[in-house]
Amino acid sequence: MKRFHKAMGVALTAALLLAGCGGAKKEATPPAGNTTTPAPAAQAKAWAPEKPVTMIVPYSAGGSTDVLARVVEKVWSKHVSVPLTVVNKPGASGWEGRDTVAKAKPDGYTMFMGYGSGEDLIAPQLRTATFDPIKDFTPISLLSAHSVLFVVPADSPYKTMQELMAASKTKPVNAALSGVGNLMDISVRALAKAAGAEITGVPFAGGGPATTAMVGGQVDVGPGHPSELMPHVKGGRLRILATATPERDPSLPDVPTLKELGINFTNPGSLKGVAMPKGTPAEIVKFYEDTFKKISEDPDFKKGMADAFQPVIYKNSADFGALIKSTFDTYTQMIKDLNITVK
Amino acid sequence: MEIFQGLIDGFGIALGANNLLFAFLGALLGTAIGVLPGLGPAGTISLLLPVVYQMGSSTTTVIFLAGIYYGSMYGGSTTSILLNLPGEAASVITTLDGYQMAQKGRAGAALSIAAIGSFIAGTIGVIGLTFIAPPLAEFALSFGPPEYFSLTLVGLVLAVFLSGSSVSKGLLTLALGMILASVGLDPITGKLRFTFASVGLQSGFDFTTLAMGIFGLGEIFYNLEQSDVMGTVTTKIGRLFPTASEWVQSRWAILRGSIMGFVVGILPGGGGVLGSLASYAVEQKLSKHPEEFGKGAIAGVAGPESANNAASTASFIPLLTLGIPSNSSIAMIFAALLIQGVTPGPFLIVEHPEVFWGVTASMYIGNVMLLILNLPLVGLWVQLLKVPFNILGPVVVLLTVIGVYSTSNDVFQVFVLIFFGVVGYFMRKFRFEPGPLPMAFVLAPMIENSVRQSLLMSRGSLGIFVERPISAVLLGVFAIMVISQLVKALRSRKRSAAI
Repeated sequence: MKRFHKAMGVALTAALLLAGCGGAKKEATPPAGNTTTPAPAAQAKAWAPEKPVTMIVPYSAGGSTDVLARVVEKVWSKHVSVPLTVVNKPGASGWEGRDTVAKAKPDGYTMFMGYGSGEDLIAPQLRTATFDPIKDFTPISLLSAHSVLFVVPADSPYKTMQELMAASKTKPVNAALSGVGNLMDISVRALAKAAGAEITGVPFAGGGPATTAMVGGQVDVGPGHPSELMPHVKGGRLRILATATPERDPSLPDVPTLKELGINFTNPGSLKGVAMPKGTPAEIVKFYEDTFKKISEDPDFKKGMADAFQPVIYKNSADFGALIKSTFDTYTQMIKDLNITVK
Repeated sequence: MEIFQGLIDGFGIALGANNLLFAFLGALLGTAIGVLPGLGPAGTISLLLPVVYQMGSSTTTVIFLAGIYYGSMYGGSTTSILLNLPGEAASVITTLDGYQMAQKGRAGAALSIAAIGSFIAGTIGVIGLTFIAPPLAEFALSFGPPEYFSLTLVGLVLAVFLSGSSVSKGLLTLALGMILASVGLDPITGKLRFTFASVGLQSGFDFTTLAMGIFGLGEIFYNLEQSDVMGTVTTKIGRLFPTASEWVQSRWAILRGSIMGFVVGILPGGGGVLGSLASYAVEQKLSKHPEEFGKGAIAGVAGPESANNAASTASFIPLLTLGIPSNSSIAMIFAALLIQGVTPGPFLIVEHPEVFWGVTASMYIGNVMLLILNLPLVGLWVQLLKVPFNILGPVVVLLTVIGVYSTSNDVFQVFVLIFFGVVGYFMRKFRFEPGPLPMAFVLAPMIENSVRQSLLMSRGSLGIFVERPISAVLLGVFAIMVISQLVKALRSRKRSAAI
């Protein structure tokens, strides 16, 4: 009897393990009840989703992109009949979530937020990605652009950007970066080159820890997105020295641009849009284009975005796609100029 | 005083029907997900965010989500003790003695002391939050990369205390944990390490998968070999509550653990693991029967459990006083507040006192609720142990596989789970204590990141670690611990050579 029990135990355990490993050919789809139904055959009538839609945020919770996804989530049910599930899939510096979407079925139920960021346009030019940032995705809409602000801790002795740049020639100056090979990394290098300064970038595991380092005075300066920095600027712990955008930010009228200060570096910021896998049919793209347009005009959305210190900038699929390509080329040039390599 | 006035107002808010209800729901849900392996508080909060927007009041939002967060700490110890399945890093320490106690029929006592200890610790934590939050938060801010390096180095030495009888085996396990932690993307240069061109390994191994594999599956695989285990897991179920002597052994452990956990829990990113680890090591050192640790010493459950609960309460302090989230669960609460128009930061207590005080008061209430919820459940949980192993074992396997797959949606991770199960099996077979492995796995990346960040900051000068006062003190502690261990080892060798 004992041997029978033992055999049963082994058999049950083995069976369960094998069952768990079965179906290994299924690609990694997010947990929103996504089964593999093909795109609807009816080309004539407009497409609409029939089951929950998943939006992947390829960063951990609380960052600027995650907050943007949450604001979308907040107003989603007013415009779409099916629910939206936001899934955080951080990992591989923002590539894991993107890779999931690149390999997902283009059936209109999987998308990711954050298309157009440094992880799409900069990092794949520095190391081999498992996806092609332009070819593997269908751009749907642009929703916002997160500009790059340069801040110092509140008790920093540097009152202006020029003071900081001048000081860097005699003392070591450290900047907190939210990652390696992303927009912040490039911005600091470009700033240093344009101002003739020497700044060492110290990478942290994302915008959150980098902001904490700035607030704590562990570094001298830091680039960041308004969404992450403004709560601390408002709280009096950080001071903004400059913005990298070509024109002054209307919500921050007192902040000079680097161009005004004579430093020849501008960057429109990290584009934050929505993308779906390549090959997404045109009527699905149209549906979401229109949905996101309505969302971007929704007053609750605008209020949420304003509270989160993020501007609302909408572009449809075609315009967004063109902007992505031109921004990609700009970064190609920048990488060459700054001579950046990942050894 | 202002603080008392704020607290009274806060209780007024927290005792409102709506907030009471959501505090209870949050605690209940938190306990449930703590017990179930796989889904953690971060994932649950993420799924519930659309729901909380409908709540209207941001105070209620935070009360609910916070309840889930610290509730999950209570639940996590249940599976650690009963099934040797730690839900998160901080619960790993509880498995060491907690599971042993369960094996000896003292599961009820272990569960009760975990609940009581967590309650006391949580309450101490909230008291700390109420009265000394702002200066403590400033203290936390002064922790930069060099301080994190020195602190986690101390943690690594503490992990050696988990190695049981053979320190050399413990060090080997520690090294293995560090190697496993280096798989994945290099955080500073962005290069891939040890991934063998596998996409699944690009982010490295997931802690929960590793822990469930080594502890849970490893234990089951090992037990499959023993033919006499098939009948039942334990021979008897002892008393449900701790005996008087057990209580005496635990009460100081609870107090010490609470304070240690609270202090370490304030540090963003550091938190629970270090607190529980430090508590375990301290209790072992101070115990009159240190050889019992690893075999079912109740202080080894009481201390660490209190520490990780105090830490989870303390992790709210940076959020509520400075607007800095310490981990992903709190980061989501941060995001939820932000988009409802409540900007977390130093002015939160001034601009939205109802949020600050309402949440604080609700935490007192939440801890009471959790105690009332968990203590009676101890009797129920303990019945689980009466299930014979040939049914319980496969059920545990099922739960862990579901847990791993549901959070990663990647079958590859299930294979990783099985791999770690096999590793755990061999570790038990060759009498290696598994404790140091997950500790090293969690601490090694922190050590590596902070040392490289520090060296970047200092342009390569090692002086940065001793020039900064906190870091210097911690390095001093590290040095003292290492030297004292060496001296002890040398002395005992001399003594045994002389005999």
